[in-house]
Amino acid sequence: MHGPVLDAQGELALSGAASRLDYHCSLQQGIGSRLMVVFRWLRHCLAIYLLVTLLSLICNSGAAAQEVIVHSDVPKESLSRTAVRAIFGMRLRTWPDGTPIRVFVLEDHSPIHSSFAKQKLGIFPHQLRRAWDRLVYSGAGQAPIEVSSAREMHARVAATRGAIGYLPKEMIDDSVRMVEIE
Amino acid sequence: MTAFAWWRLNSQMIQYFKWMGGFLVLAATSVTLSAEVSWKDTFQIHGFASQAYILTSGNNFFGKSRDDGTLDFRELGVNASLRPLPDLLVSAQLLSRWAGESDDGSIRLDYGLLDYSLVSQADFLGGVRLGRIINPLGLYNDTRDVAFTRPSILLPQSIYFDRTRNLALSSDGGQLYSEYRTGMGDFLFQFGVALPRTEGQEVERALFMRRVPGELKGNISLGGRLLYERDGGRVRLGISGVQTNIDYDPAGPEDPLQAGSIDFDLLILSAQYNAERWSLTGEYALRRIATKDFGPFGPSDASLTGESYYLQGAYRFTPNWEGVIRYDALYANRDDRYGSRFEAATGLPAHLRFAKDFTVGLRWDITPSFMLRAEYHNVNGTAWLPLGDNPDPFATQRHWDLFALLLSYRF
Repeated sequence: MHGPVLDAQGELALSGAASRLDYHCSLQQGIGSRLMVVFRWLRHCLAIYLLVTLLSLICNSGAAAQEVIVHSDVPKESLSRTAVRAIFGMRLRTWPDGTPIRVFVLEDHSPIHSSFAKQKLGIFPHQLRRAWDRLVYSGAGQAPIEVSSAREMHARVAATRGAIGYLPKEMIDDSVRMVEIE
Repeated sequence: MTAFAWWRLNSQMIQYFKWMGGFLVLAATSVTLSAEVSWKDTFQIHGFASQAYILTSGNNFFGKSRDDGTLDFRELGVNASLRPLPDLLVSAQLLSRWAGESDDGSIRLDYGLLDYSLVSQADFLGGVRLGRIINPLGLYNDTRDVAFTRPSILLPQSIYFDRTRNLALSSDGGQLYSEYRTGMGDFLFQFGVALPRTEGQEVERALFMRRVPGELKGNISLGGRLLYERDGGRVRLGISGVQTNIDYDPAGPEDPLQAGSIDFDLLILSAQYNAERWSLTGEYALRRIATKDFGPFGPSDASLTGESYYLQGAYRFTPNWEGVIRYDALYANRDDRYGSRFEAATGLPAHLRFAKDFTVGLRWDITPSFMLRAEYHNVNGTAWLPLGDNPDPFATQRHWDLFALLLSYRF
């Protein structure tokens, strides 16, 4: 706002020594007002940042506890955390009876995926993505199968032999089996 | 000219696809029909494409990047994988990459391998890979061409310099791997015996700073990596190394160079910490290059030890926005860090022997498939500057800047 004024004053200041004092005054005033603008801008940024953080907190707390589910033929009542991590890390390929493991996940930014990764695996979603990318783009492994909704997750795990996935507890029924994590 | 290049590109591509197809069919026919989950369902195809704009001052990088900038840095890749048996993985990736004078877009096989899993338990797994296999080097070599997996548009050039990309990326042979999961973390081990890739001119240029009449041939080389990961990768510590042997096959009796050999040893120490919002990464590398038996007109029998390191911090402001900051240093000869002895001996500029790069960058994941990046490098030294883009070493500038934009897509 005071920028053009500062420039005008600056030109005036060149015209004579008498007005040099004015120039200095207005220079200080100019810097002061610029600082104010910067402060105001920073305050806006902070407010937006807090709002985003708050919203993401609300979203996260909105997601209920997630449970690991498997196809009903999978011969496991419980899994160790090591095993679940190895499975969702796409390292473990078969169940103990030799059936291929089919891993289903929701997209990275899904609140269900995020809370599953953090609570059940103890891994941040971005770490999981990096680990999958390393396998997929170096030929060392495959990516999990991505589904677009919790409903699709439910249907695919129920219908696919050797399938494993996760769902909010209230969505789990008899068509899939819930697995305890030791 | 362009039509010819396209024709060459296509015929190359067809050849590779034939090869890949044969590979997959062969693997597929070995499958018994009793498999319960259809093996066909395991087929996956993924790919990536990226286009960069690079603007520099002082020197050229990946094309004529000075003054108006260049669009001559592009990467296209596609890979396919299939599990014909639960314990067998077949995978291959084709890449086409343009990078100024360093890379002309010709299609090549980045990797093409059979991976057979011998043990598959939750706490211990192991297997063997055969074919063209990615070299397990440091934290970023495995997926160095996939922009999404890089921490910045350009990888830290001190360690992952693109001058000898093919040589560094993969080699032809066999590899054993194993993973142990324990209460205190996971141990991932890979060890391979292979022939290094010496195709193209990049190795010649990097080693001799010019074309040579004869041919460079990869000889039996060793490489391995031990990675320790805690909490699914929150802490990652690694040590990796390769011992690469390359022999020179003279063009004939008129070739001034004799049948010499080159030994290239590399040791990388890696460390990374990943929190939810930020990641801290550092790597340190020691390189030893020894040449011998090239005769009176070739490089003398000598060995040189170079040193590189970088420290990098990344912060995720939101899941879609990430900032990165890095300091990266390379010294071609640790006994002559700033090249003064080199300059005295050769008359070439001392700044060809070191590079210190300060980088800041920003990443925006527009969607999970589209990413936009911008970054700025302030560089002192030209040790990793592509020679093809800067043919006259006396015309290079010691202090230079690089600004880059990159749009990338993957599926």
